[in-house]
Amino acid sequence: MNKLTLMAHLVVGYLSLEKTISIVKAMEKAGADFVELQIPFSDPLADGPTIMRACENSLANGTKVKDAFAVAQKLSKEVAIPLLFMAYYNTVFKYGVEKFCRDAKKAGITGLIVPDMSIEEESCEHFLQFCKKYSLHNIQVVSPSSTNERLKKNAKVANGFVYVTARQGVTGARAQLDKNLISFLKRVRQYFAIPIAVGFGISKKEHLKVLKGHADIAIVGSAIIDVINRSKGSKIEENISNFIRELKKPVAAV
Amino acid sequence: MKGHFGQFGGRYVPEMLIPALEELEKVYEEARKDKAFQKEFRYLLKTFSGRPTPLTFAKNLTQKLRGAKIYLKNEGLNHTGAHKITHCIGQALLARRMGKTRLIAETGAGQHGLATATVAAKLGFSCTVYMGEVDIARQRPNVFLIEQLGATVIPVKFGNKTLKDAVNAAIKDWIENVKNTHYLLGSIVGPHPYPTINRDFQSVVGREVKQQIKKEEGKLPDYIIACVGGGSNAMGVFDAFLKEKSVKLIGVEAGGKGSKTGENATRFPNGSVGVVEGYKSYFLQDSDGQIQKTHSISAGLDYAGIGPQFAHLKETGRVRFESVTDKEVLEAFKTLAKTEGIIPALESAHAVAYAIQLAPKLKKSEIIVVNISGRGDKDLFIVAKALKDKNFLAFLKEYIKTYE
Repeated sequence: MNKLTLMAHLVVGYLSLEKTISIVKAMEKAGADFVELQIPFSDPLADGPTIMRACENSLANGTKVKDAFAVAQKLSKEVAIPLLFMAYYNTVFKYGVEKFCRDAKKAGITGLIVPDMSIEEESCEHFLQFCKKYSLHNIQVVSPSSTNERLKKNAKVANGFVYVTARQGVTGARAQLDKNLISFLKRVRQYFAIPIAVGFGISKKEHLKVLKGHADIAIVGSAIIDVINRSKGSKIEENISNFIRELKKPVAAV
Repeated sequence: MKGHFGQFGGRYVPEMLIPALEELEKVYEEARKDKAFQKEFRYLLKTFSGRPTPLTFAKNLTQKLRGAKIYLKNEGLNHTGAHKITHCIGQALLARRMGKTRLIAETGAGQHGLATATVAAKLGFSCTVYMGEVDIARQRPNVFLIEQLGATVIPVKFGNKTLKDAVNAAIKDWIENVKNTHYLLGSIVGPHPYPTINRDFQSVVGREVKQQIKKEEGKLPDYIIACVGGGSNAMGVFDAFLKEKSVKLIGVEAGGKGSKTGENATRFPNGSVGVVEGYKSYFLQDSDGQIQKTHSISAGLDYAGIGPQFAHLKETGRVRFESVTDKEVLEAFKTLAKTEGIIPALESAHAVAYAIQLAPKLKKSEIIVVNISGRGDKDLFIVAKALKDKNFLAFLKEYIKTYE
């Protein structure tokens, strides 16, 4: 059976840039295998209330796009696990697509998740082209509403891993997984030869238990922000570490 | 390329919305060619909305300004009080064709929400309307009416709590409920095919103007002036004239309180190219691409983006953009009411305000058509407050007592 690894998500600059750095370090120590750093955006289309609020807070703290690059630069020297950027396309576009890819690579980023950069617009934007030029994985996102034709189309350009949303909806921790998730993952597997990562609503170890054997990476985002929100400032790193260790318990043994 | 206007437009959305947009595009293409669909659309426009709306010669205003002849296309006489119902009827018929049972909409001034709730009642859909908290606070009468029509109004508490945030909230609802729900987007913004669909439905306005002005004057107008938030009323009245090079087309933006960032909604010249809410266009944003706060006395123009076709028409020079301030808008509101007996919506009063500036500079033989996109009933409270009407305040105070 395939090993199930964990990608932990964090909004850069929530609650501060220093906190982002110390949390990511704690995540690595606790066993996170990847970290997804979301660059905060004013209009995060695919995010539910938890991540939206975290973005608002970070922007209100004055987080700039260049800060995300600086955080990545610092972290990539201090942690060994792969770091990815998640951004909305306007952030990439305003920065300059090529410059964004080049600077991301320079800062030690290994992949980009840009959910609203649809492949139909590639001929105008050259996003995939620049990801390739700077050896960044462009992480494609697919969802339960994706037709087989769409899965095929995405599989053609996807690399690194494919980000599969566990349900049709926006981000946010949920108590239950969608009952059709496993059959959907089987459908995805038919089209993608690369690892499958599952996110949206993944919030507890029982979820990872279910995913084991059907996916390669579990993505946990809003649930981690929920832990931050429940924690006193000085306890955040410790609580996140405990949360990640707990999450990984049922899947730790290969 | 399909869905693009020059470099603008497109379909920049998460993969989970692509199938729904592809379905909408396909169904619209079929419906466009389907005579029965077009017949039903026209029938409802005529018998439910009251089309065609009149083109009225503004004789007194023309005499007062001593310049060009001014005509008013009175879209405010549509059912629900504005042009919005036209694309609502069109999209509701598409939703029915797709087998959807629920309509959702965003609204700024409340006019689009009102029109959506109205067609939902008429055609048998359930309906949810997203509205920013700030807009709810200034447009309560429309919220009340939307609720009377059987729809639910959900306050949006994120971001600036205005129109763009309502769009975001509606898109998120759509993502979750795409199986049974049609997102009845209310302007010529958003991902393809919305800018095209809404333009096509609204283009009836310009076609009517063309016929009406030819009948009155025997020729085309020299200028058409319309206010531009997202741009649905302006595109509606301009579309039939895009190829008539002699007709100058002017879009009027919300100059708000002034030129400072956050105090207006003038995408030209303050905006820059970006990709937000699924489309590429001009947006009021900072150098990081974060959307900035906007302001206008009219909720309907209080929006950071602009329809992608307008971004293109601005770049090609086919449409010129001007702006007027809140103060000028209030003056125009009063002037039109007193000279012509027409109380315009504050959005439409922007177009009137610019026409008042332009007309005296033109020859008497020239013709201006001003699109009055809506009537001003909905703005009763805002205008009474802005004009510091003491009697209205006294009335409110007394009325509250009878309420309690």
